[in-house]
Amino acid sequence: MFFRKKLEWQLDSEIAYHVDRVTQDYIARGTPPEEARRRALLEFGGAAQIREDLRDVHRSRLLADLRQDLAYAVRTLRRSPGFLTSAVLTLALGIGANSAIFSLIDALMFRPLPVVSNPSALVQLVRVIPQHCADCRVSYPLYEYLRDRLTSVSGAFVVQDIASSITIDGIDEDVYGDEVSGAFYATMGLSPAAGRLLLPEDDAVPTPVAVISYDYWRRRFGCNPAAIGKTIAHAGTILTIVGVEPEGFPGIEPWRTREFTAPLSMSDQLGGGNGKWKREWDMNSLEMMARLKPGVSIDRANAEIGSVFAAWRTDKSRGLHPLFLRERFLHERAAALPGLAGLNGLRVDFIKPLTILMGIVALVLLLACANLSGLLLARAAARQREISIRRALGAGNNRLLRQFLAESALLAVFGAIAGFAAAQWFARALVHMMANGDVLALRPTPDWRVFAFTAAVSALACILAGLAPGLKAGKTHLDPGLRQSRVVGSHRRLGRSLVVVQFAISMTLLVGASLFIRTLVKLYHVDAGVRVGGVFLFNVSSKHHFSDARSVEIENAILDRLRTLPGVVVASAANILPLGNGLWTREVKVEGYAFRPGEDDTAAINAVAPGYFAATGTPLILGRDFNERDESGPAHPAIVNQAFVREFLSGQPPIGKRVTSNDVTYEIVGVVKDAKYENLRKGAPRTLYFPWLELGNQPMGYNYLARVAGGDPMRLAPLMERAIPQIDSAMRVRQPGTFQDVVDQSLLNERMMATLGGFFGLLALIVACLGIFGILAFQVSKRVNEIGLRVALGATRGSIIGLVLREVLLLLVPGCALGAIAAAFLTRFAASFLFGVTPTDPAAFALAVATLAAATLAAGFLPALRAARIDPMAALRCD
Amino acid sequence: MASDKSDLLQGTLDMLVLKIVALEPAHGYGIAQRIQQISREVLQVQQGSLYPALHRLEKRGWLKADWRASETGREAKFYSLTRLGRKQLAAEAANWDRLAGAVQMILKTAE
Repeated sequence: MFFRKKLEWQLDSEIAYHVDRVTQDYIARGTPPEEARRRALLEFGGAAQIREDLRDVHRSRLLADLRQDLAYAVRTLRRSPGFLTSAVLTLALGIGANSAIFSLIDALMFRPLPVVSNPSALVQLVRVIPQHCADCRVSYPLYEYLRDRLTSVSGAFVVQDIASSITIDGIDEDVYGDEVSGAFYATMGLSPAAGRLLLPEDDAVPTPVAVISYDYWRRRFGCNPAAIGKTIAHAGTILTIVGVEPEGFPGIEPWRTREFTAPLSMSDQLGGGNGKWKREWDMNSLEMMARLKPGVSIDRANAEIGSVFAAWRTDKSRGLHPLFLRERFLHERAAALPGLAGLNGLRVDFIKPLTILMGIVALVLLLACANLSGLLLARAAARQREISIRRALGAGNNRLLRQFLAESALLAVFGAIAGFAAAQWFARALVHMMANGDVLALRPTPDWRVFAFTAAVSALACILAGLAPGLKAGKTHLDPGLRQSRVVGSHRRLGRSLVVVQFAISMTLLVGASLFIRTLVKLYHVDAGVRVGGVFLFNVSSKHHFSDARSVEIENAILDRLRTLPGVVVASAANILPLGNGLWTREVKVEGYAFRPGEDDTAAINAVAPGYFAATGTPLILGRDFNERDESGPAHPAIVNQAFVREFLSGQPPIGKRVTSNDVTYEIVGVVKDAKYENLRKGAPRTLYFPWLELGNQPMGYNYLARVAGGDPMRLAPLMERAIPQIDSAMRVRQPGTFQDVVDQSLLNERMMATLGGFFGLLALIVACLGIFGILAFQVSKRVNEIGLRVALGATRGSIIGLVLREVLLLLVPGCALGAIAAAFLTRFAASFLFGVTPTDPAAFALAVATLAAATLAAGFLPALRAARIDPMAALRCD
Repeated sequence: MASDKSDLLQGTLDMLVLKIVALEPAHGYGIAQRIQQISREVLQVQQGSLYPALHRLEKRGWLKADWRASETGREAKFYSLTRLGRKQLAAEAANWDRLAGAVQMILKTAE
């Protein structure tokens, strides 16, 4: 500051000295003093210009200019709050949406597990079944096989998650935990916050110990060391707490809350299992991780695991029957996935929609840039006079450009701040949407990388947006600008092409939105073979397991209780509900049907209570439903669906036919309509239903459901919450909900895409409307005298409105054409998300064009109306 | 009167300034006067180019400047030649000689 003042003073006095000396010279030659001074100044030329040139020589000027530019920018922006608001909102939208998605992808993909030592060497070892899953779990025998043979990795371990009701100090709590094999903590490289962590010895023989998470230690025990040595009671097993995990360790699934960790060898005691999981090579229920040995690349590990798994596959497929399963098994592979950020489960679920969303918000950002550029350009056009004056006063092109960039930079800073805030809100909303009622401990907290990304995008957007008008300003002619503000042709062309770009992007987003929305609508209209409305569902948890006799008693008691609740039409239970995640399959033999060699001889099975079909709304087509007597009778009745009849019994009367499965021979007593079990996209499997109690599950192993006559089915929730502990004090209601919730859950990704696609499509529409409104309003204001003349020569109001709206059409047609081309190219990437529509669905394109046209014509109508109201006399007089 | 005055060739102003200042330290006005006098009013220096040139040369380290009392008693900014400037002057003068000689030769041949 001081330096700048000094420089200015020196420049001034140097020039003043010169002018004074020349004045003296003239006076000495006899010129009168005043005339002498005038001539000296004249001879010196534009003193201001020279001063400006001199400043140019000195580099320190740049800083001074920057300060001046910024101060000027603040002043001008404060004078136009409307522009400022719309520009900052536009930026906040573009930047906020982008950094929110980016931070989610970051949290999901790139954020290394905290606290863990050298997380980048971690890998997840998975089975890959083409078209089925990319991160399938492994069995205990497979884990041992891989662990003992792989040389590229060390410290292999397996984990499975458990949810349980535990009691500590007499207080009950529902918690989540992990069961881990011996190498878990050593491979993670953790040291305890208190006590000790689990050791390989704890897993070698079942040892009733547990480690609690730091969060739980703080929440439940206030970080009191006395927590060590306390006991956790669960399902009749007592675990002793031996230590606390280090602070910040989120487990290997950072999005999941977890309270305690127990040795995997305790699994049977904790979960009521029978040790089968440890022996059966195809009981794939475990997540496996390991650490790459130093210097080993993940590619090499992948190559090795591939060949080791090939040997395992050859070995295991030898005795494998049926042939169908063998075929599928032979396509199985094993692979090592990066384990830097923990397990890949959530990533596999959400990476596709998030990637598409990233594409969508990138378009939104592009749109925001086009819109901002348009705003800045319109502003520059409105400031022609000011720019001309500044040029006349000696501002160079660079100086003007810098002035525009200063304004853009200021907007970028505001935009970044607003975008940053918007991102937090938006990311939280997205996580909430993804969790869909569950707890999803994803923390998309923007860190410095996200901020850097935000700032970079914001700065780039503003520089790009500021550059165009800034360069234009450099070409502003001195003269016309001062005389009157006539639109410079190229200026107008740029503005118009920006609007075309906005139309094109909006069109693309609208096509995407309508495809996603149509997909969702079609999916909701799919006939799933059930009536979704008016059904209450729940299941139960228990502190301990029950004897078989007690289980049956409780299960019947629950249904009896449910039936007596007010408004309940029918109550029932089933092992698995429609649209959950699919049914189990079993091999079947059907009377009168011969399987071809290699043919799939399995059917989907479900165990259901009487009244199940009435409760789910699946029509009974032939025969009868199950009843109470079926459970105790010597015969084994079964009900099959239409697909079963179609595929196994075509043309024959199904009632009375025998089906054998699991060494039980069933007699078909009824046929029901096909109901979908996996999701709405997949067809109904051929299904065999048998009476529920035959399954012999604990009460926790069934879903209970009740169809109500009217009103909100959730009103039953508090009633059942009171009733269940009365049936057995160890039990409580878990996951009360409605059938609709289940369907919504199965359409989570589709709903997310439709909601966000629609949201961004709507925003794009608003932005495009603002864009066309701005440009038309500006053009009308510049064409006042032309329009006035037209009116004076007899043009009607209608024709003037038509004249202005023609402008909209002139921009709309190329915009829609460009957008349609872009959309046709881009929607292919979302093809796997669509249902019932093709990526180039003509209706979706037509809808997008119609929406865009209607909205923009409406936006253009206001300026058109203003044009039509122009008073010819006033218009002609004004310039 | 205007007809026997010549504009300076692009780039020669720097050399002339260096030469004038090489004789003795001078302020801007003095330099302009000196060029006019020595060239017997043939060369007219535009102040609009002189001052930026001075500042440029100073920035490049060929001139150094200090404020001292002028012949009128008032403070003025005096420019003097640096060692670097002296080298630059020698180089530019040699270059000019070569160029002027070449132009002369062409003009004579053409006659």
